[in-house]
Amino acid sequence: MQNSHWTAHLRLLLKPPALPHWTKRETDSFRLGMLFLAPWLIGFFAFTLYPMLASLYYSFTIYHARRAPEWVGLQNYIQLFQDEKFYIALNNTLYMVVIAVPLGLFASFLCAVLLNLKVRGQAFYRVVYFLPSIVPTVAGTILFLWLLNPQVGLVNTLLAKIGIEGPNWMADPNWAKPGLILLGLWGMGGTIVIYLSGLQDVPQSLIEAAELDGANWLQRLWYITIPMVSPITLFNLITGMIGMFQYFAQAYVIGGGGNLGRPLNSTLFYSVYLYQNAFLFLKMGYASAMAWILFLIILLLTILLLKVSDRFTYYAG
Amino acid sequence: MANLTFSTPGTSFSPATEQDAHTRRRNRQMRDLLLSTLSHALLLFVGSFFAVPFIWMVLTAFKSDQDVFRSPPRWLPHDVARVEINGQAYPLYNVKTPEGIRQYAALKIESGVADFVDPANPVVIIPIKLQQGAERMAEPVEQISFRWQNFPEAMNRGSRPGVGASFWVYFRNSLIIAFFTILGTLLSNTPVAYAFARLKFPGRDLLFILILSTMMLPYQVTMIPIYLLFNNFLGWGDTFLPLIVPAFFANAWDVFLLRQFFKTIPEEMCDAARVDGASEWQIFTQIVLPLSTPVLATITVFTFLYAWNDFTGPLLFLNSPRNFTMALGLQDFQGQNIIIWNQLMAAATVFTIPIIIAFFFAQKTFIQGIKLTGSKE
Repeated sequence: MQNSHWTAHLRLLLKPPALPHWTKRETDSFRLGMLFLAPWLIGFFAFTLYPMLASLYYSFTIYHARRAPEWVGLQNYIQLFQDEKFYIALNNTLYMVVIAVPLGLFASFLCAVLLNLKVRGQAFYRVVYFLPSIVPTVAGTILFLWLLNPQVGLVNTLLAKIGIEGPNWMADPNWAKPGLILLGLWGMGGTIVIYLSGLQDVPQSLIEAAELDGANWLQRLWYITIPMVSPITLFNLITGMIGMFQYFAQAYVIGGGGNLGRPLNSTLFYSVYLYQNAFLFLKMGYASAMAWILFLIILLLTILLLKVSDRFTYYAG
Repeated sequence: MANLTFSTPGTSFSPATEQDAHTRRRNRQMRDLLLSTLSHALLLFVGSFFAVPFIWMVLTAFKSDQDVFRSPPRWLPHDVARVEINGQAYPLYNVKTPEGIRQYAALKIESGVADFVDPANPVVIIPIKLQQGAERMAEPVEQISFRWQNFPEAMNRGSRPGVGASFWVYFRNSLIIAFFTILGTLLSNTPVAYAFARLKFPGRDLLFILILSTMMLPYQVTMIPIYLLFNNFLGWGDTFLPLIVPAFFANAWDVFLLRQFFKTIPEEMCDAARVDGASEWQIFTQIVLPLSTPVLATITVFTFLYAWNDFTGPLLFLNSPRNFTMALGLQDFQGQNIIIWNQLMAAATVFTIPIIIAFFFAQKTFIQGIKLTGSKE
């Protein structure tokens, strides 16, 4: 070892990594690539990688933001699994994932089929179905609080007209989540558009062939259209599931800030309880542990959905 | 190919008479008419679920304070009719008089007694006790009336009256944040997407998988350290910086969207420029970007939508009302003890209008963007 002085090795850091077998062209192209990627690379380290590692570390500490984090090992995780509110929040969120997401997909698909009918004014109908999805979340949520007002709300007034006594909606622990599901269905225009573009990609020849074979409308829908859009269903299912686990703004507005989770914790969703722990109770370590459990749940469910769906989705080509 | 015989049920191959053809055509016409009526009925029925809440928001925004709490509610906004007497407007009432029901103006109502006058002859004051036994002697005359003042009143009021921050301030803050978010998004995502779409360098595909996998990462995982970084370490709490600065460092969604588009630009054009000695930066800025206006428009519109709609970011970082965005201000307004629904709906309508305008200007861009991010891969 001739150049055994340790600073000599530091020179290696000045050169790109794994050099020996890289040609000059590769080195140059790598440098150029990194230059173009610079905005994302910096952002990735500052706003993704560092925060991930930091929150993983915080999750093993007691951290009140003002004092330095204090290492407590698995205590936060153990405490979470004994926390009644944690299970309430998880349950509320699973309710939405299991009921609201599939319901939304089903309804969006039906709306897309409707909007794909060749009728006059089709473009107008499409705009009407789509517009609510771009109404800002806070405005939409407040609007539904108003529509679902038990006494003077439009929904209960219309229900009364057909002889149904409407529920107390957002004031009733059993009806708050169905109210939020209605709000979600109102804003499903984005999913409808994705399905609609999928329907338009179904080859016309396939449908005509089935028609020739005597398949009726329902059979064509069941045996051709639904399998052909199955990749879109999978995509919508995964993004819908990921989004629902992070359901926050609507629930926060329902809680009016001071009463998060009302009524009776029925709208205390996972992300709401996490926010509450982090920023109202200042239990940053506890909240970080919640965040990592959330991440693991999402990761596992995504992998599971991808594995299971392999058998049910059809990919052309 | 032996079994290739067409047999359509219900039709015979005997030469059809004129009459047969006629009835068949009429039957088909009837069926088409029935189908199209059914389609429209279904489309309208489901469409009302989407349209009615929206219409209700706007109609509520025009209602008067009494009308908004009327039970059962009416569709159109009503207000008490007024007549002008000596330059002042007075409410009009249907008053039960011995001569039948007359329309009188109420000059003043005090301890259950109203001073009515006949608008045709406002000199004679007729005092009437309003409640006589079980009978109500006068009912206000109502007419359809859109209360436009709700809009300026709501906007000037703000979410907490008295703190000097109106919804105009919130509106301006939202615009400022949206503008810089769009600027940062356009500047930072384009070169990154170009590298993934057109440059060849070792490790590119690995990095691309890495950036895509960040899409799955829930915001909650990075939220707390990012909050502490901006708020405590950099001292950017209660400023717009935590909402704007991250936009200047690219994100997976926009990189992916741009890359998909850049890949559709013919490689030959870039190769030709390369032969002529153009650098990659020149190809990127002078060939690829000018050809990418449709996708840049999509990104602009979607970033605007995102920034305008964002609630969690402002909630985390903005504390004082003068820094609130529309989303935060509206939530704050709703969170007050007494909810003034007509003004709340007026503010919500104003909050929504820029997005509706953006939609009608760039309808194709909207739909294209959803399809690009949604359907493929």
